[in-house]
Amino acid sequence: MDTHAFASLAHVRILLVPAGSIQPSTFERFASEIRAFDEIRLGDIPADQKDERARFMPNPMATGQLHLSFPSHPPPSTHSNLSLFRPSHFTLGVIGIGACSETETLSSTLDHFNASLADIVPPGSLYPLAKNCFIFEDNGSSTNLNLGDGTSGLVVIPSMMGNKKLYIGTLLADLCSHIIGEFGRLVSVLESPLGNEYLNATMFPILPALSEMPRQLDMGSLPPLPAQHSQPELSAAHTNRSQAGLVLPRVSSSGPGVNPIRQSTLGVPGSRNKRNSGIGVASSPGRLYKVLGDFFLLSGRIEDATIWYTEATVSLKLLQDAAWNASALEGLATTSIMEAWLSGQGLVKSKEPWAEVSDKLAQATTMYYKANPMASDSELNHFYLAYLYSTAAIRQASLYFSIWSAKGWGPLAFTTMLQPGANPYLPPTLSNSEHNTTLNLERLSITSGISRSTVAGHLAQAHGPWLVHLGPTDRLAVLETMASMYACLGYKRKEAYVLREVLGCIMDLLVCGREENRKPSTSPGNTGLGIRNVSLSVPGTVGVRQNESAEGNASILRLLKYVCRVLGIDLEAVKLVHTAEISPEDGETASTDSMLPEDDALEVSQEVYGWPELQIGVIREAIAVAESLPDYLIVAQIAASSLKTMHPVLAPADQQHLYATSGRALTTAQRRGETTQIEYWAGRPVVSVAISTLPFIRLPIEKPMSILKARLTGTNPILTGAIDPFLYNPRKSLLVKGKSLVIQNEPLELIVTLRNPFVFDLELQALSISTSGVPFESKSVAVVLPANMPHTVTLVGRPLQTGTLVIRGCIVQAPGGTPREFALPLSTDEEEESSARKRSAIECEIDRSKYSGLDSRPWAKSSKRLSSVSARFQPKMSHALLECKVVPEQPLLRIRRTTLTHGAVMLYNGEMSTIRLTMENVSTLPIDFLRLSFDDSTTAPAQHALAEGELSVFDTYETEYDLIHKPAFTWQSQKESNNIGAGQKAVLTVTCFGKVGCTSGAIHVAYSYVHRPLAEGAQEPDVFHTRQLTYPVVVTVYHMLECHGMDILPFDGVEDGESEEAEEAEEAEEAADGHRRHLLGVAETGWSIFSIDVRNTYGLPFDVTFSCTQDSKCTPVSATLTVPPGSTSRVVVPVKKFLLSEEHIAKPIPTLSDRQFVVTKSKLTSEEQRTQRELFWYREELFKLIQAHWRESGGTRHGELSLRQQRMTLPMLEALRTDPVEVTMSLVRASDEATPIDKKGGRYDSPANEFLLMKTLITNMSPAPLTLVTDLTMTPSEHLIYEGVLSHIPVGNLQPGQSLELETPLCFLSLGRFELRAEVRHADTVKRAGAGLLKAAVRVV
Amino acid sequence: MSHHLFLLSPSDTPLYSLTHYSTKPIPSTGSALTSNLPSWSTSAFAGTLTALSGASSATQSHHVQGGAARMGGGQDRHVIQMIANASLDVVEDVMRKDGAMYLKSVDKFNEWMVSAFITPGNMKFVLLHEAKNDDGIKSFFNEVWELYVKTMLNPFHTAHTSIRSPVFDARVRTSAKKYL
Repeated sequence: MDTHAFASLAHVRILLVPAGSIQPSTFERFASEIRAFDEIRLGDIPADQKDERARFMPNPMATGQLHLSFPSHPPPSTHSNLSLFRPSHFTLGVIGIGACSETETLSSTLDHFNASLADIVPPGSLYPLAKNCFIFEDNGSSTNLNLGDGTSGLVVIPSMMGNKKLYIGTLLADLCSHIIGEFGRLVSVLESPLGNEYLNATMFPILPALSEMPRQLDMGSLPPLPAQHSQPELSAAHTNRSQAGLVLPRVSSSGPGVNPIRQSTLGVPGSRNKRNSGIGVASSPGRLYKVLGDFFLLSGRIEDATIWYTEATVSLKLLQDAAWNASALEGLATTSIMEAWLSGQGLVKSKEPWAEVSDKLAQATTMYYKANPMASDSELNHFYLAYLYSTAAIRQASLYFSIWSAKGWGPLAFTTMLQPGANPYLPPTLSNSEHNTTLNLERLSITSGISRSTVAGHLAQAHGPWLVHLGPTDRLAVLETMASMYACLGYKRKEAYVLREVLGCIMDLLVCGREENRKPSTSPGNTGLGIRNVSLSVPGTVGVRQNESAEGNASILRLLKYVCRVLGIDLEAVKLVHTAEISPEDGETASTDSMLPEDDALEVSQEVYGWPELQIGVIREAIAVAESLPDYLIVAQIAASSLKTMHPVLAPADQQHLYATSGRALTTAQRRGETTQIEYWAGRPVVSVAISTLPFIRLPIEKPMSILKARLTGTNPILTGAIDPFLYNPRKSLLVKGKSLVIQNEPLELIVTLRNPFVFDLELQALSISTSGVPFESKSVAVVLPANMPHTVTLVGRPLQTGTLVIRGCIVQAPGGTPREFALPLSTDEEEESSARKRSAIECEIDRSKYSGLDSRPWAKSSKRLSSVSARFQPKMSHALLECKVVPEQPLLRIRRTTLTHGAVMLYNGEMSTIRLTMENVSTLPIDFLRLSFDDSTTAPAQHALAEGELSVFDTYETEYDLIHKPAFTWQSQKESNNIGAGQKAVLTVTCFGKVGCTSGAIHVAYSYVHRPLAEGAQEPDVFHTRQLTYPVVVTVYHMLECHGMDILPFDGVEDGESEEAEEAEEAEEAADGHRRHLLGVAETGWSIFSIDVRNTYGLPFDVTFSCTQDSKCTPVSATLTVPPGSTSRVVVPVKKFLLSEEHIAKPIPTLSDRQFVVTKSKLTSEEQRTQRELFWYREELFKLIQAHWRESGGTRHGELSLRQQRMTLPMLEALRTDPVEVTMSLVRASDEATPIDKKGGRYDSPANEFLLMKTLITNMSPAPLTLVTDLTMTPSEHLIYEGVLSHIPVGNLQPGQSLELETPLCFLSLGRFELRAEVRHADTVKRAGAGLLKAAVRVV
Repeated sequence: MSHHLFLLSPSDTPLYSLTHYSTKPIPSTGSALTSNLPSWSTSAFAGTLTALSGASSATQSHHVQGGAARMGGGQDRHVIQMIANASLDVVEDVMRKDGAMYLKSVDKFNEWMVSAFITPGNMKFVLLHEAKNDDGIKSFFNEVWELYVKTMLNPFHTAHTSIRSPVFDARVRTSAKKYL
């Protein structure tokens, strides 16, 4: 490859070719030994020739070097026209490298070498001037060392030789000496008039083959013609002078004997072309001088070269031979650099010593640019001029580049310019990648005094439309040079620009080569050439890839990816995965990285870098390149990567195109047996995974086994809804968040929400659930996600064992790609917090542009940003995953039928009815546990009111009583079996009670299979699971009877009617009612009357019965009456007074639930509290005594009538309660016998005006001793007289059961009715303790 | 003669671009090298190469001398953008050392001269032009800057929002007509 070294004009090119059958590795080894000689000192070159060949020979004592370069191939044949214009471009010498072998003789090796040389060198070419064949003797294979006669151009280098290097050096020097000698011969030909004529014939003349030249020219031994002009002498003189070490004083412009007359004709060299017959006519020597300069430069004789170049420029300037003039200037530039190097290694004081050189090169460039190609053969001339122009421009750029990269004008710069070595564009200052920072590049600029933009500016001159003129290989060489220079300058975008052209070049060759290959004529033997060789080979023999050798593809793709990276596209955003690497254990390895969900999320807030239009263009080109390689996998990778990274800026059409391309390419790749796949690319499609809740009838509920054991607390859970002794339970929220329960061997539905951020319908080949823990059987499904919207998919699976099932996330596979797992951790609080922090950090940075240009490419920037840097230091959090508990298989029950129609029941208030449910076990497991619980519309408000705790103690009790003792539904569990075998049926009977306000209810049936056969050694599980069935019931309760106005009146026995007779008559009449009459006729005190109003608000009459069942002594009494619709009836029932014991009353009002009472809120005094308690307990007692029932008049429906709405008042209490003190009053005559007075109808029939004795017996009935006083009242008091005081009669302390009789003498003074009352009061509290009444009728006896 | 203006955000994204055709004649390049370009290959890649090397634009400009016929992309838009993008290398290099906002003819590539204007917010105005017109370009840049600053006053406009305001566009066009 052309390296475009600065001093390429001074390089003697020697081609190394393999000779004979030599292993490539052996060849490389020996070749590298030869390549080690990049210069040969002039003093080492043997200069023994005497004739014209001696002309360019170095002086015996000359200092200086001959610079060698070893290109890998000769210039293409199209360049042959430059053979005189630029001899340094050609391989002047050829060395064949052979190895001794047992099969080949040396001569055959030599023959082979010669033959291959004939292939390489186009016929009729001037070069190579010298050739040799080095046969390296390998270790121990010295068999065929017979040096035949025909082996003159062959040297054998024995392996045993001690100083092989020195020997090779000598051999090379010999070769160079030969070459330099040939220079002399060539020049002597050119010096001849005919030769000169040829030289001036065209713009880029060629010398015809030496055989076609006149005879005498061919004879090198002949002395040159003593021609019309004096050049040989002059040159000889020069030679002599220089050999003598004389400094040649500058002669005038016509110095070397130029004929100025020629000028006019030479001005039009094109016309000269037509008069080839006129060869022999002398021409201007300008070009000859330039050729001389070239040869002297090559021979290492810099001073002579300078002289001749200067002469040439002078004469060529006059001739306006722009190209040649420019070339001479280039030579001059080279010589001045060489001179500067030779003289003290360039230690110059001047500030910019390269300015002069640069000027010359700039001149040369301009001249090439302006040179006017001849019309006749413009095609080729265009090519040459373009080539020369580019070379010159690059030469100038490389001058600056060398100085810049070598930190200034110094030895390093010279070395770079003169002996660039293998990597000419990677100077040692930049070779270390760590040094390749902007800072370091900047430092180079400052130390060298050359800014990077200057170098780039000069380099840009080489770029232009003229590149089209160049041949493919030359163009490639120029572009590669430019690209490498830009790369070293750190101008990545310019490099990318040029690299795109390089790619275009290579791909063009590739495509064209393939098209040529389609012609059947081409031999198939030429296969297997990699792309590299294609690019290097001469046009016409373009390499062919028939069996699609992928060699070299990787390099092209690397270029491609590099270019895209510079433009901000990461073509490797989607990685390639070998199918073989995807092992079943992949899930384990993936667990760590896929736990970080942010990694691959398609961040919407992602900043866009770069130039979208350019990026799209480059992507299209990249796909085109990869398609024509063809590498379909890479096509898919590119398409997928660009979709992944650039979908925010891609137009819909582009997205669709890329998607289609990637799919197509993947299909093709797989069809062709590609084992590599692309990883999943389409962002993060899975948004969430949720377990769809089981239908209610299938939902298992976990219960501890302990609840099957004895119920420890008798609390009814219905009161509070749930058993929780605390008003606030901090652990409650934790309990709620339990794992969801899933049943073994039953389908589990998972709802997966997916999102497609693209504008096309994304096809997912497989979507499956990724789980760990219990084996889970599920199928993957293929999904097509509609464009740009969320999509929900339900996946069904079956857990196969009991235990814990962890749902890690989803495994997603795009068509042709590898599956990829997306974990979906549950977001915990700290995680939410950290992600929020991260998000805000990103948002904070999103508009900052601290790093601009290439530093702001996403991957470059992310490493510097605080958000990503800080994230790295965050402790790795453990992610919680969605877990569910798989419980054993459960039986399944269903309601087969019920006795209700439409699930509705209609009741009167207080009516009872039954519902029968027929259940069927539809599973294969038996049911051995059955519980019913009920719910109705009245419980919830009541529970709520209870929970609020705002009710008074009394109301609380009422509500609780209602809930516990009057449930709407009840089940007699003990009567019915709890076992339902598999496939069997069972009937449950539920009693329904009509409660006003109840509108609906529900019957919950919880069932389970608890007592399972245990596996051997298995522990008794501490939990079991139930399932529930719910049967809703619509309840309608008619409210028809209302009780109100309850009252209790004191009853002192029936006052006799007006007459006893009448009474007796009544008695006879109402024999049927005698019982009641008897009741009413009770003489003794201690009865009260219970009365209540019953109103019928319904449209039908009802019979209402109130019955009172007191202690066994009394016969139960009842009152029944029919209440017509809309009317109110009063029911009266006698109730015997009773007294509750003190202990009974002292009990606080109970709460039926175990609710926690913190503080009693009442602010009542203890007295008031006592009163309240009394009211409460007496009421309770009363309701125990009195039962109320109703019955439909003429119907069968019956029920209870609730009295609990009724309140008890203090007077009612007084009436109901037996007094603690019993007062019995009687009248006796105050005679000695103390005969009692007759009693009639409850009245004492006492005589008037007779002294009587009123006895008041006071008995303490209470269990406590009492201190009492008595007041007596007698009315009308004016008609009787008595003895003693009436009020505050002290009774004294009465022990329980003790009695005291007071005697009060009195006398009725008139006829009539008298009432005598005694009221016993507590002595201290003056509260009533008891009273007695005596009625007396004073009649005429 | 055409001018291409690009307003580039710090992340190299064009926020606004304008192609302006002025009536001024194109200065003749005068080189024989750029003429008589051969059509050397028919493959698509050769087309890319031709375009990138500037050959197609050069031939185009030779073919159509009149201003009207060039409308609609005598020059490959993609290539123009590539050149503008590539010139950022030089612009970034030069602006680091040169404090000036206006970098005149900071780069030259394929016949195109590139002038740039760097705002304090690190926005880069890149103008591709074919002829030297330092003062005109400077005034043009200053006006564009003023218009840009006015756009940036919009609180909803960030350094990365592309400019779609028709007013901005119209004013930039007027300014281009005036100075270029």
